[in-house]
This record gives sequence, C-alpha cells and structure tokens, in this order.
Amino acid sequence: MGATKVVEIPVTLEIPIGPQHPALHEPLMLKVYADGEEVVKVDVNTGYNHRGIEKLCERNSFYRNIFICGRVCGICNTVHANCYVRAVEYLMDIDPPRRAKYLRVLAMELERIHSHMLINAIMAEILGFDTLFMYIMRDREKVMKAKEILTGNRVLADYMMVGGVRRDIDEVKRDRLLKILDTVEREAKRYMRVFETDDTITKRLIDVGVIKPSQITRYGLLGPTARGSNIKIDARMGDRYDAYDEVPFNVVVRKEMDSWARMMVRWEETLESITICKYALEHLPSDGPAVPDERRLPRKFPPGESFARVEAPRGELTYYVSSVGKQIPYRVKIRTPSFNNIINSSFSYIGYSIADVPVILTSYDPCISCMERAVVIDTERGVRKSVSLRQLAMGEI
Amino acid sequence: MGGPAILKEVLQRFFSKPVTIQYPFEHVEVEKDLRGRHYTDLNKCIGCGLCALECPADAIKMEKLPEDKKPKRNPRGLYPVIDYGLCVFCYRCVTVCPVNAFIVTNYYHLASPKKPDSRDLTLKTLSGEGGGGM
Amino acid sequence: MEIPERLKFLSDLVKQVYTLKPNRIVLEIDKENVRKVFESLLDHLGDTGFYLAVITGTDYPDKNMIRLDYYVITHPDKEVYVFRTWLPRDDPRIPSLIDILPAALSGECETYDLLGVFFEGNPYLRRGFFVPPDVYEKGIYPLRKDAEV
Repeated sequence: MGATKVVEIPVTLEIPIGPQHPALHEPLMLKVYADGEEVVKVDVNTGYNHRGIEKLCERNSFYRNIFICGRVCGICNTVHANCYVRAVEYLMDIDPPRRAKYLRVLAMELERIHSHMLINAIMAEILGFDTLFMYIMRDREKVMKAKEILTGNRVLADYMMVGGVRRDIDEVKRDRLLKILDTVEREAKRYMRVFETDDTITKRLIDVGVIKPSQITRYGLLGPTARGSNIKIDARMGDRYDAYDEVPFNVVVRKEMDSWARMMVRWEETLESITICKYALEHLPSDGPAVPDERRLPRKFPPGESFARVEAPRGELTYYVSSVGKQIPYRVKIRTPSFNNIINSSFSYIGYSIADVPVILTSYDPCISCMERAVVIDTERGVRKSVSLRQLAMGEI
Repeated sequence: MGGPAILKEVLQRFFSKPVTIQYPFEHVEVEKDLRGRHYTDLNKCIGCGLCALECPADAIKMEKLPEDKKPKRNPRGLYPVIDYGLCVFCYRCVTVCPVNAFIVTNYYHLASPKKPDSRDLTLKTLSGEGGGGM
Repeated sequence: MEIPERLKFLSDLVKQVYTLKPNRIVLEIDKENVRKVFESLLDHLGDTGFYLAVITGTDYPDKNMIRLDYYVITHPDKEVYVFRTWLPRDDPRIPSLIDILPAALSGECETYDLLGVFFEGNPYLRRGFFVPPDVYEKGIYPLRKDAEV
C-alpha cells in the first residue's frame, strides 16, 4: 500500500519591496510525501530574491545601501536597516548619541508589535477563525498609525542613518504615541486570553510540531521558535546593542515546545515590547542631536570588516560588511532568520497529519507573502489540482 | 471557553458602523509630515546634481533649463526631474541637498494612467506660481 | 593574540587569533581540520552549548583564494567566535559538516550555489537552489567577482 497522494506546498520567502528588482525568483517548495494522512518525508526546494541584493550592494555606495538593505523585507525593514547601519558604524567606530539609540529602539519595538500581531492573525485565519483575524488586523492599524507618527510612513520607515536617526519627536507626538500604546496593550491582553482559552485554537495547536531543545541548537533554529522550546537565545540580551543596555526587559521563554508555545511567546513578547516602548518614551534623554547632518558624513570608509546582529521579529538577523577603503563595500552578507528556520526544519513535520503542516509552517513565521498555494498530486488518477493552504488546513482535499 | 468572549463583541459590532474606510469616497486622515510628493524649488536650486547621485532608485535626472531662465546661482543650468514611478520616497534627496531646495508635501494620491514626474511642478516655482503645500 | 580560555582545548588546531569589529574573536584553522574542530566543540560544549549561526564565503581573485567563515555563537554567554579557513580558488573543496551539525545544511547549499565551493559528503548540494536556471546553465557562480549578471 503505497502513498496515493503527494502534496507539494510552494511557499515564497522574503518580500523584497524595492527599486531594483532582478528577474523572477523561484518559490520555496516543501514537497511533502504523505502516506494516507501521515507525513513521512519532506523535501525543501528554495530560490529567492535577496541574493541579488548582495551582489547589488557591492556596486552602490555605503549610503545608498542603507535604503536598499531596508527593502529586503517589508515587514522587518527597520531591523534590516538598523543592522546594516550598526555594522557600518562599527567599521568607523562611531557611537551615536543616547537619544538616537532610544528612538531606534522605539522604532524597532513598534515593528515587533505589528509583526507579531500579523502572524497571530494569520494563524487564526489558517485555522478558519476569520473573525479573530479581522479583529486583530483592526487593532494592528493603530500600530501602523503610531509608526506613521514616528517615522513618516506606515510600512517602510526609512528611519536609520549612520550616526543616528532621520527624524526627531516632540512632546505632542510623544503623548499621542503613549495613548496609542495604552489602547493596544488592552487589546493585546484580550487576544492573548482568547489564544489561551478558546477551544478552536488550543485543540489545533497544542502538541503539534514538538521540537526538543537539543534539536533546536543542532539544527540552528532561532527566534520565537527556539524560545518556545526553552532555549533562551536573544540577540538583544547577547549583544546589548543600541539602548538595550539601559532599558530593562525580560526574555520570554516557554517550556511546552509545541506550536501553541511559539504563538504564546509572540503574544508575551508583544506585551514586553509595549513596556519597552513606554519606558523609552518616558525616559528619552536629551544629550545630543538625534539627527546627524547628512551632508557632513564621511564618504570614504576605512578598510576593515565588521559583524552586527539584531533581534528581528523572526529571530536573529546578521550582517557582515567588509570594506577595502573605497566608497563601496567589498562584501555584504545577509543571513535572515527565516533562512535557518524554514530550510533546516524539514524534520519537524514527520509523523503529523497533512492538516498540521500549514499550522507548523505558520508557527515558524515565514515572511508574509509566503503561504500561497499548495498543489495536490493525486497519483492514482494522475490529476493535479491547486488548493490554497487554508483549504488544506481545514481538511478539504 | 473563549467562544462567548468574542461572541459578545461580534453581536455588538453587528449593529454599529463598519471600521473600513471606503477610500476613494471617504477621506483618510494622514499626518502632516507623511513622506508624500516632493519637488524642487528653482529659486534655491544650484544645479549641483547631488540628489541625482544619491538617489537609491536612480529616479532623478538632471535636465537643462529652458534657455531664457538661467539664474546666476545655477551656472550649469541644470535642474532635477523626479520620476514618481521609480521614486521610493525615502527623502534622501531632501536631506542631502546643500541648499534645502526641496518642497515637501503629504500628498499621496499618485496613482494615474500616465507616468507622473515633477517637471511641471518644479518649473512653476520659477515663475512665482504654485509653491507651498498642496 | 591569545586563544580565549573557553576554547583552550582547540589550541593545537588553531593557527592564528585576531579580532573582528566590534569585538568578535577570529580563529584561523586549516581546511582539513574543520570536522575535528566541530567534533571537539560538540564534546566540550555539549549539544545545547552553542549553535552555528552563519557560513559566509568571500571571493578574493587577487589572492586567488576563497575565504570561508563559520560563525559560532555559544549559548548561555552569547560570545561570537569566527572560524576562518582559506581555500584555493581553482578547486575549492572542503569536508562537509552536515552529519555532525545539521544546521550547516542551509549555509553549505547556499555557498555551493553562489560561489562554487564543493562540500564533500553533502548529498543535498544542487545548482538550482537559489540561482535561476538561466544563470546556472551557463555555469556562472554569481557571487564571484568576475561574474557579470
């Protein structure tokens, strides 16, 4: 009795939103081989677009690269720009003033809040709980408004610059941001309670996709995926970059090791981020100009190399920048957390049923425009038909 | 049981106005300093071309001014034209200009069937019309 | 520079030690010793004591070498250590780590597809991993300095 149905699930990684777009990329395909309802083998096929960005970064000046690297991912654009800017600042041994560091932390934590709300909404939508999806998105709009007040744009905040940030805030904006954060905190607590108590969610998520701690470090998984399995890795705690050496915060870790633990880690991190934002807004130092004069920044960079890492909403993001003394870098290497989380995790689907595969994949938080289509190959009748991942999750094949 | 918790809100929302803003027919409130359409003020521009060099999207081209209008501070007679189809509104040109010659607005209704660029808005500043926000 | 205390058990395999900004420690090793270094790390630091973060390759056509970096981050204290090896550019081969440390899968596949470094013992290496077919059919490795894409 062999397998009668083979399910191929194509998934795309990283949304490069940007000016220079090289040719079309291949989507990520998880070829899931299933015997009846149980998954027996998974193959990973990838091909994605941000590789073109590494070659592109070798041809543009250091300052143009800030805007290019900010467009590797639409959801995490502040953290990409921040990591690149910090790697360049290490090359030059520049230390920005404390006010700029606090504002950077504010922008990055706002992004973490809206990214976590987004993935929880998508998890609810994959399970079929559309009402919760709509409600979370409505409250996420308030966070986007907060980003607009701070940086000038809802999604792509071109906020980071070598030596500081590009805009400052005054008292009026600060009060508006504090009011928005109070509202979001109330709503986030309510949604977290729904995730804890609602049967629709707990029955689908608990004990699905269990990963043991030793498997996490050997397979190199990062971010909330690792923190949901009791491994306390967080680049904010490790490097203490920007203002994280002065702002108090906790690293959230859970012991249950399944998909439910990973989503709860994200809700608790949302509440932690709101606390960090409020602390940063109330304790903004005024020790120096947060906005450097962009016309007076140096154009040539000394030779050397540097390695910076940052805690993106999905895990640890690293940038390696090397320069040989010209106006353009010699090598820029970007390693995004989804790269490790998605490619190295094909072992974790084995033994679960097909309807669990989208749930497990969503709990790793692939970068958004991913979960698009799944192709079902019925080998008995030789017929291929496309179903959306949501129909797959609701068992409609 | 989480069911009744959301259920109460669902029933309340059933009878109240939807949250969706019907965009083209209703007005959306945006911030005053949203990064919207920007163009050059030719009363200040010196034609150095830094904005065109620094644009990450290569959306700015320097073009020659019409023959009768060549102010003294602009010896090469060039002015920047921004192609809004390529522009990513990062405002690098605005911050890097040595004489602060860009006028910024928060106008964002830029979808149009033909390619928009800043030529008309920029040339109007020289004759004294236009200028300021939209 | 001296080898840090924590990694003293590697002192016979390490040739040189220096720093990478902002204060990461680089240890240069020979390419044949890569597996020994990682097996020794697993023995001394344990299964959950560290993780392999990044595998980076850089092309130096003027020196005729390709440089490969393995970034290792230790778990409770979060120190970053870089293991650096140099490979000849004409025949870049190095033993693979995939059976002792499965986290190397993504990094090795990417470095093979983009730079042409062959990892011996890795059954998952293939050309179409990231690079679209119209480039790899010409045999071009896109990230090399002489490749025009």
